[in-house]
Amino acid sequence: MIWLPVLGLVVGAAIGLVSKWTIPVEYSSYLSIAILAALDTVFGGIRASLEKSFDDTVFLTGFFTNILVAALLAYIGVQLGVDLYLAAVVAFGVRLFQNIAVIRRIVVEQAQARRKARQTSN
Amino acid sequence: MRTRAKLAVSLTVVSTFLGLMVGVQYRQTAASAALGLGYSRSSDVDARTLHELSALRAANQTAEQQLTNLNAELTTYERESAGSSARLTALQTRLTDERILAGITAVEGPGVSVTLNDGASGGSDVEQILTHDWNVRSVMNEMFTAGAEAVSINGYRVVATSGVFCSGPVVRVNGHRLGAPFTIDAIGDPTTLRSALDIPGGILDVLRQQGLRVSIPQIKQHLVMPAFTGSLPGSINTLTPSLSTTGAVQ
Repeated sequence: MIWLPVLGLVVGAAIGLVSKWTIPVEYSSYLSIAILAALDTVFGGIRASLEKSFDDTVFLTGFFTNILVAALLAYIGVQLGVDLYLAAVVAFGVRLFQNIAVIRRIVVEQAQARRKARQTSN
Repeated sequence: MRTRAKLAVSLTVVSTFLGLMVGVQYRQTAASAALGLGYSRSSDVDARTLHELSALRAANQTAEQQLTNLNAELTTYERESAGSSARLTALQTRLTDERILAGITAVEGPGVSVTLNDGASGGSDVEQILTHDWNVRSVMNEMFTAGAEAVSINGYRVVATSGVFCSGPVVRVNGHRLGAPFTIDAIGDPTTLRSALDIPGGILDVLRQQGLRVSIPQIKQHLVMPAFTGSLPGSINTLTPSLSTTGAVQ
């Protein structure tokens, strides 16, 4: 069950690598910002599931909205001559690290709690 | 359990999509890195143009080689056909001389060679220490003035229609883009040529003063110069031999 997302990631990457599908050069930066947004959402989802507050509707809408909004923001930035692209990189980057930190803390706490439980049962 | 299933399904959908984007992006970045054009420039058009350019260069080189061979063949045939008659031989000699002056045949002989290089920036003006087109031109002119019969710049023959001029960071000679160092060879009387260049306060001294690194003119007993391989004007439209003034203008 838990391997399904990993399998999906591998399959998606394989399709992306094998397919002849390319995006125009000028939109390349939008794709990279979209990837960052997607990464952020995935880690957000993992964190939510560990905190038992996962909601699939929120997760899926968040994923696609974040991607679109990030690309749109970058586009507006290009039109206005303001590097809104950087704002998106910083915002998603910071959240990415925060989510990873929270995930790590939860995992460590769970492991410690399990060990403590085993010691008390012994 | 229901939330776990939902979690797995949503995560799978999302990670598949993420994987797809990562894959596409990776492929594009790798393709542009292979071309050495930086990540922001990658398209099939660039690759195709580069390919066409190198193919054209190779074709050009082959054609030039062919031209040189054909010219050599032509000279041989002319020599053979003229063997019998004295007048034809005289005409033949004249033709060969004209060809040498026109620069359309490869020549060899004794001469001098001098190399101009950009100077080292010692806090002085960068404009001053770069080798400019007029620096190359003045050395070339000095050589012709001293009686050089043939001059080449970095292996490109200087002919009547040659232009030596700046185009951005390079100097163009016969339409070829050359960069420093410039090796200027001249065939002619070696001692005369060398003393003309080496004269105190002469052209090379001026260039050295300017900050260029100029080599000492080297006498070469055997210099080989290629023929001019650029395109000559196919038909001369604007000038005809002048018959009214047979003598030189005094």
